[in-house]
Amino acid sequence: MKEMKKMLLILTVAMVSMMTMAVSCEEPEPEPQPEPEVLKDYNFDLFVCAVKHGGMSQNKNGTYVRSVTALTADQPRVEFTGKGVDITQNYTLESITRGKYYYQVPQKATGGFVKFHIERNAAGEETIVEDAEVPFKDNVYSARKYTHAWIGDSTTLVIVGTANKATKVIWSKLNESNLAVQSEGTLDLKLPEGFNAFSTAGLLTYRKSDKKLYYFYLTKREAGQSDAATSVTNIAVINPETMQLESNTAVPSAVMEETAGSAYGELMQSMIMYDEADNMYVAGMITVNGQEMGILRRIPVGSKTFDTSWNGFPNPEGKLLTVQYLGNGKALSYSRDETLGTKIDSKSHFYSIINLANVSRERVKFNGTDLQYCGGRFSQRSVVVNNKAYIGVGGEVEGEAEATYPTIYIYDCKTGVVEKGVELSKGFCFDIIRAMDVK
Amino acid sequence: MNVALRLVLSLTALLGTVSLYAQDSLALKGTLNDTLVIRNATVTAKSREQKLREGAFAVGALNIRLQASTLQSLTQAIDRSSGIRIREEGGVGSEFDLSINGMSGNSIRYFLDGMPLDAKGTGMTLANLPVNIIERVEIYKGVIPASFGSDALGGAVNIVTNRSRRNYLDFSYGIGSFHTHKADFNAQYTGKKTGLIFKPVISANYSKNDYLMHDVKVRNEEHTAFVIKDLPRFHDDYLSLFGQLEAGVADRSWADAFFVSASVSKVDKDIQTGATQDRVIGMAERHTQSLNVSARYEKVDFLTDGMQFQVSASHTMDHSQTIDTTYRRYYWDGSYIDGSYSEIRSRGKTLRHYRRPLTVVRSNLSYRLAEGHELALNYVFNRSGNRQTDDWDSDFVPTDDVLAKHIAGLSYDQSLLSGRLNNAFFVKDYVNHLKIGQNEIPSTTGANVVQGSDTQNYIGYGLGTRYLFFDPLAVKGSYEHSVRLPIARELLGNGSTVYPNVALKPEISENFNLGLFGTVDLGGGHSIAYEVNGYVRLVDNYIRATVTETESMMQYVNVAAVHIKGVDGEIRYDWAGKLHVAANASYDDSRDMRKYTQSGDLSVTYRNRTPNRPWTYANAEVSYSFYDVGLRGSRLRLSADYQWVHWFYLTWAAFGSASSKSKVPTQHITNASLLYSWHSNRYNVSLECTNLFDALAFDNYMLQKPGRAFFLKFRLFL
Repeated sequence: MKEMKKMLLILTVAMVSMMTMAVSCEEPEPEPQPEPEVLKDYNFDLFVCAVKHGGMSQNKNGTYVRSVTALTADQPRVEFTGKGVDITQNYTLESITRGKYYYQVPQKATGGFVKFHIERNAAGEETIVEDAEVPFKDNVYSARKYTHAWIGDSTTLVIVGTANKATKVIWSKLNESNLAVQSEGTLDLKLPEGFNAFSTAGLLTYRKSDKKLYYFYLTKREAGQSDAATSVTNIAVINPETMQLESNTAVPSAVMEETAGSAYGELMQSMIMYDEADNMYVAGMITVNGQEMGILRRIPVGSKTFDTSWNGFPNPEGKLLTVQYLGNGKALSYSRDETLGTKIDSKSHFYSIINLANVSRERVKFNGTDLQYCGGRFSQRSVVVNNKAYIGVGGEVEGEAEATYPTIYIYDCKTGVVEKGVELSKGFCFDIIRAMDVK
Repeated sequence: MNVALRLVLSLTALLGTVSLYAQDSLALKGTLNDTLVIRNATVTAKSREQKLREGAFAVGALNIRLQASTLQSLTQAIDRSSGIRIREEGGVGSEFDLSINGMSGNSIRYFLDGMPLDAKGTGMTLANLPVNIIERVEIYKGVIPASFGSDALGGAVNIVTNRSRRNYLDFSYGIGSFHTHKADFNAQYTGKKTGLIFKPVISANYSKNDYLMHDVKVRNEEHTAFVIKDLPRFHDDYLSLFGQLEAGVADRSWADAFFVSASVSKVDKDIQTGATQDRVIGMAERHTQSLNVSARYEKVDFLTDGMQFQVSASHTMDHSQTIDTTYRRYYWDGSYIDGSYSEIRSRGKTLRHYRRPLTVVRSNLSYRLAEGHELALNYVFNRSGNRQTDDWDSDFVPTDDVLAKHIAGLSYDQSLLSGRLNNAFFVKDYVNHLKIGQNEIPSTTGANVVQGSDTQNYIGYGLGTRYLFFDPLAVKGSYEHSVRLPIARELLGNGSTVYPNVALKPEISENFNLGLFGTVDLGGGHSIAYEVNGYVRLVDNYIRATVTETESMMQYVNVAAVHIKGVDGEIRYDWAGKLHVAANASYDDSRDMRKYTQSGDLSVTYRNRTPNRPWTYANAEVSYSFYDVGLRGSRLRLSADYQWVHWFYLTWAAFGSASSKSKVPTQHITNASLLYSWHSNRYNVSLECTNLFDALAFDNYMLQKPGRAFFLKFRLFL
């Protein structure tokens, strides 16, 4: 009897072990996402444009960058007259950033990639130092028309773009330190019947829990700007080592017609975020009553497709433009109220805090009052660092143009308290805040 | 009388002083014969150019005939003029913009004998028009007489061709650096029996433009890094051919002149760069062919005494092709990668055809009410089509745009106080009709805003006055409320490097000019002439060229308000037609005066200096002529000129630290030339060296221009 019990125990343990192993094979233990980036010693790079907001090639009037140590209210107003770096001629506003470095296909169109950082020269002026510049190998990319992801402990940068009138999708892997092109190729993606172009760049992201690249792209009836209702969003899952396609799924239009952006990757605007459990959230849009409205979808950890039952951005006022994870199940959104204007410079854009757990949303307030609406369809005036979200508000209100300054508001991710931060000189179109390591 | 006569006929002018310096005795004929013999007399008269300068309007005038033997192109001569700046992108045949008193190139209208130069085909410009056929160039600064029937804003350049009645044959051939060849032929023959006049013109220009580009980035041998090198341009060939035959009669009872003409032109151009030199192009080309037929009629005392009538009509069939069918990314050493986007537009492949038929009718009817009082009525019709098709891009939907203008003007000129006081008053009516059919890249070209037909009416008016105290001092002033309708290039693009912007609005400007000028005859053949002009231009919807990011394409955009203030001055010294010294300087302050952006925000560029344009520049020139050198009746002319352009920023000056800003550096360009003429100017040989010290020269967008270059020209004039 003892022997039988012993055998039964062994058998039970063996079966449980095998079942556990089987489950483990199907769903590897998720690697926890790191806490939101913690930078010990960092600056904030503030990008402004003259006359018009600068994203999406809209600015022809100049782009200027100031690098400041803090954005708190005790700092002097950030001025651009005679100060800052004028990047207009050489670099694009849109860029990949990591640590202290910027990586991009530059505006100056020298036919390659460039890596640079901003530092202060002997005169105390911000200046750009180029750390590496390499020519394209075989795949050629246009300035700002590409998407990216970091793989291999962030030592490798993957660039993806389209070629031949957006009919094929190309990729290149670059060495982070010297930008050397490690390998290149074309993704095995085909346009379905009746579709003539891919999106200009799409959105590429790397999920650490399953060590896969996710490539969100559109198939469109024709190249260029498209009608969301006729486009189809697709999710390609890619092995980052081989760049082979592992799956490719068309998203039903009722779930998402288009991602929030598809032409310039996340070079400027953040449209994909992860929570602590490595659930992936993607900002997109669907057409409601003839208007393109925002939607926030989730790909749960372990899954490769959207959870169609979940929408983190219900009852939208308009397009959802950017999302950033704040920690503790909360996210910062930047969206638009269609009734207040749909132009790039329309004062119709505003910030909200989304509670992802109960899918509630509330406007960001300072002293009990909503932060004002601001212009800038293609802007990323918010950055999350060290449990604080720094939120830039355009400043001017129509009819009160001379009365207000662009201002940073600081949201404490743990307490939810908003305090007023530093002001910027008025008159500029405030487009980007980036937190950059200074080491 | 047994006394030697010495006669000096000195016709003083700023650039082209015509002097007949007679060493030998010469008896004057006509009214002076029989009874009068003059010893050591100097007869001075004002040239046509000088008279133009002394008119009621601000006018610069250049005698080209005297420079034709050395000039490579008309732009060279004009660029040295006071208040004028030419932005030339590169070598022979390159795109250029001309600025007069601060107004940009397309605010300027170009005329060939009063007809729009475009009528000769879009490929024909100041840069390739044969210089030998040109008598003079009139440069109207700011205010333009109604007789041109033009909607120009910043000024006008009227090229006046040789109207000589005598038969002649003029041939020249030049060869220069960068594989440049130029040949011009023009002639006039009058049939003895029929009186029919024939004027053939043939002109050919070719250049490889393979001048050296300094400090350009190319890949190393392993293609793993960039290295800096000096390399020649490799895809900038330019060929232009022009032929014209004009035939007609002159001095008939029914017509002072009646001519019909037909001309053909062909321009083939490789495209080497985008609007900036970082974008290297190695395969794209542009071809233009044009056929023009025209007629002109002129009659003094038309219908009644004192009435003068001129009418011209012209139709041009203009066909351009832009071939952009290669997905390549070139580097300056000619190597390339098979790329993803077309070379010019960074989009899909295109082989685009642009057919731009142009019809121009111009008429002037003037009537002398009394001595010194003249009334003139002017009407100009200008219709430009723009049909686009594409042989390569199957997605392209053919389009057809129409741009039509009717401009009517009424002017009244008076001359009072024995000619000391001249006044001119005018009013113009502009009707602009636009029909937009294109719909390509609508958010960029404005086709999403403007579609279908649109007709607008505008009124312009102005006046000019001049008072001559005495020869050394005269004052003139003029004012115009002017309207400048966008031209086809600005609205519809150029088919290659300029995007359309069909949403462009007309420029409207208040133009003020005030000038002093005078001529001082110092005796002994010495004379000094001077002029100083101040100007103010208050422009709404100023049209400015910008370079679009990413594609390095150019596009014209409206700037809500721009105020331009400036002054230019010139002084000229001449001694007996031998020594000629001139210098001029210009200061041009252009400010953005839009206070609010479109969304109602305070504009940060309010009151800022407009970027991308030189604001201070100067020229100086000296020449000396030796007579009877080697051969009797010969002339050896040595000349040199110097151009200085102050550095300027490529972006708004006020923002960003000075060390981080891109700027076009100060430029010092020196040119020198030598001309030897003999047999009463029948034979001419010239040698010119441009950019003598091989200085780096740039256009407004940092495109490098040619370094030191030589040009040898032989001209035969019979």
